[in-house]
Amino acid sequence: MKTSLNIKAYIMISFRLNGEVVQTDLAADTPLLWVIRDYFKLKGSKFGCGMGLCGACTMHLDGAPVRTCILPLSTVANSDVTTIEGLGTVDNLHVVQQVWMDNNVAQCGYCQSGQIMSASALLATTPNPSDGEIDAAMSGNICRCGTYPRIKKAIHDAAGLLNNGVVYYTPQSATVGGEK
Amino acid sequence: MSQLMSRRNFLKVIGVAGGGLVLGISLSDSSSEPFPYSKKQAFQPNAFLQITADNQIHFYLPRVEMGQGTMTGLTTLVAEELEVEVESIQVRHAGVHADYTNPEMGMQGTGGSSSMKVSYYPIRQAAANAREMIRVAAAQQLGAPADQLELRDGQVHWQGKARPYGAFVDIASTLPVPEAILKQPEQFTQIGREIPRLDGLAKATGTAEYGIDVEIPNLYRAALLRCPVIGGKVKQVNSAAAESMPGVKRIVTIFNGVAVVADSYWQARKAVELLQVEWDLPALASHSSESIQRDFVDALENNPGEEASKEGEGADALMSAISVIKADYSVPFLAHAPMEPLNCTVKLEQGSCEIWVGTQIADITQAVAAEFAGIDKDQVKVHTTFLGGGFGRRSNQDNVAEAVSIAKFTGLAIQLVWSREDEIRNGCYRPASMARFQAGVDSNGKIEAWSVKRVGPNIIPYILDEGANMIIPEFLPDSFMGWARKRGYGLFEDWVVDPSSVEGLCDDYDVANKEVRHVTVDPGLRVGFWRSVAHSYSGFFKESFMDEVAHATGQDPVAIRLAHTENNPRLNKVIENAAREANWGHTLAPNRFQGIAAQYAFNTYVAEVAEVSVENGRIIVRRVTCVVDCGRAINPDIVKAQMEGGIIFGMTAALHGNIILKDGAVQQSNFHDYPMVRMNESPEIDVHIIDSHEDPSGVGEPGVPPIAPAIANAVFAATGKRLRQLPLRLG
Repeated sequence: MKTSLNIKAYIMISFRLNGEVVQTDLAADTPLLWVIRDYFKLKGSKFGCGMGLCGACTMHLDGAPVRTCILPLSTVANSDVTTIEGLGTVDNLHVVQQVWMDNNVAQCGYCQSGQIMSASALLATTPNPSDGEIDAAMSGNICRCGTYPRIKKAIHDAAGLLNNGVVYYTPQSATVGGEK
Repeated sequence: MSQLMSRRNFLKVIGVAGGGLVLGISLSDSSSEPFPYSKKQAFQPNAFLQITADNQIHFYLPRVEMGQGTMTGLTTLVAEELEVEVESIQVRHAGVHADYTNPEMGMQGTGGSSSMKVSYYPIRQAAANAREMIRVAAAQQLGAPADQLELRDGQVHWQGKARPYGAFVDIASTLPVPEAILKQPEQFTQIGREIPRLDGLAKATGTAEYGIDVEIPNLYRAALLRCPVIGGKVKQVNSAAAESMPGVKRIVTIFNGVAVVADSYWQARKAVELLQVEWDLPALASHSSESIQRDFVDALENNPGEEASKEGEGADALMSAISVIKADYSVPFLAHAPMEPLNCTVKLEQGSCEIWVGTQIADITQAVAAEFAGIDKDQVKVHTTFLGGGFGRRSNQDNVAEAVSIAKFTGLAIQLVWSREDEIRNGCYRPASMARFQAGVDSNGKIEAWSVKRVGPNIIPYILDEGANMIIPEFLPDSFMGWARKRGYGLFEDWVVDPSSVEGLCDDYDVANKEVRHVTVDPGLRVGFWRSVAHSYSGFFKESFMDEVAHATGQDPVAIRLAHTENNPRLNKVIENAAREANWGHTLAPNRFQGIAAQYAFNTYVAEVAEVSVENGRIIVRRVTCVVDCGRAINPDIVKAQMEGGIIFGMTAALHGNIILKDGAVQQSNFHDYPMVRMNESPEIDVHIIDSHEDPSGVGEPGVPPIAPAIANAVFAATGKRLRQLPLRLG
């Protein structure tokens, strides 16, 4: 006699997302980018290529920059994942975000979350990077609008501020454009 | 985007082809539709501005923000005339309404580097009128003489008291709209300042919403499998394997492919990879890059083509020249590669439709959505989000047509997300082009004759298809539209030269006899507007050729350009300044060589000097010096950023970009085989803005055309090798 039994084995994968313990039963090979965007609804990290070539999906895994469009969910189990939302907020900007604004870095802005995550990871390990070190750390992040010169200057500015002990800024009020 | 045909011109052109068309059709839409965001208890004197009773100031942005700075620039115009701080204004992308039409385009579009140019007076006027209505309302309400009121920082100041504009909206709403006097430039407090970008905070915190970020209730995601050759149609589908994948909800065939709709994008993508589809291939499938190249060469050699423009004796003057310099140039098809892959979110239910998309032309989005949904345009609401890069690609609506079709056939709210592979392989490409240049010079090296023949496809037929129902009045029958669309392809074969195919080939220099001819050779690969359009190749062609003429006649490349722009003083000035700022003619650091190029495009003059090293066959761009005359710089920092960005965008085309076709299929797919300039290739860039009091022109595109020829000319200086093809390759 045939019976049909639908037994689903839920494998919960747990990790810390921007400091908070979370868990999900999505398939273990789901790229972390889509877990964060579609399941946890954090849209700041972007999809650009799906092959780890453009850097738009960059997050921090235990503080190190990773391309999450090719990072399976299973690899972040019990680890710390930081997204742009966790790096700083509108009310509590990371110094990298502040210098980004001071230098009017963004144009279309789509790549900039990834740029900022790569830049902040660089500064965490290399407090005073040379141009060559910036090139090496940042060349995995493509900007089609061509904001590279301003990114480089902003990173130098941030290095200067961080070396003087500045970490967080309180921003001026500003208008957030775009329609919800 | 080039100067698109306005409705008027289009009807004239097809009138010619059709043997006379009904004239006397009113070509202006009625503006009696209500404004999209009307609120009670708010003062809204026009479609752009709204002031609420609690003093919130809303600006409905008619030109979309895709990085080029319209959100900041146009809002600055409002702030200046309305006498409010720019940061106090809440800015949203406008919905579809006739009052948001771009007068240069005849549709609600952003492109052609036109936004500031077409907005500079109208937006200021709208804001000044609103200001004066507040003044008159305040005078009435306060019983004060209007000329004793000072309007500043969003407050009405009188007798030591300040009252917010919002206090007067009720009376203001009853007043007739005046024609207020605009400020004189000497009175500007915000125009001309480097105001920080208004979208900077959102874009630094990942809170700016792009089309791909939109979430609505009950939203499914879709991935679409298309024919490897653009234009192919589905013949047969085997979806068994795809259907059993997790999360899959529906699988449907639409006009150009098979869509998988699933709970999440990743699930849709994994399932779509398992579809087995047989395709009916289009005629394009018989073309490959080698055969296209051969067709171009054949046309260049053997087809006299159509006359695009002529001055003086045209090419005949070559015969009387002391010597003739001749060279052929070519460039490939290029994809746009905006960082945000195309996408579109659609909610279609009970005969009404809402679309969320980053689009450059919202009213064509509306028209295309209506057509594919089978409903009236009035039933379609378009929400424009931030664009993660436009560059002209988001003026096309193929993603909208696809998404609406999927929504219609599944009955679900869906978000269609393109992969990077989809974007590279389903482009509206920058047309591949080849050109033959000939210059006749006299014994003093003065150019007496300038002749160009350009070979390649035209853009207008491909956009006619999408734009037809925007351009053609609604009451004409569908059969007429079908005819006009089909006719579009034929029109530009033999009759009319598409201006967006030949712009920039000959205008810049003082030459008595000029002629541009054009031969249409179109393998059928879909083409479209790519940042700076024809200038993206005419700059490379013209400025490389000018360099060749200089070297052939023993003239310095800067000197020959100055000598031939005596009647073009603004171009002359940017060339002179760029040379000076770059220390042209002085000794450079070892292994550094310079090349110069200049182009007038979209009413803006740009000259660039590239300083380049060549090492082991590799071209390294060390520094670019750029001088721009864009008229009055509304926000100098944004002008500089657009030049920087245009240069780097153009560098990718100069050094890397190459779309190759094999049997009609695009061979490239992602950033490993369609590489982009990255941080490590990025030069130092110095931008100098000419201090001008002319009305503002545009800066989105003009930085692009000069960089490829400036680099190529520097490579010649470095190696003696003249590279006449893009991407530049040594050895």
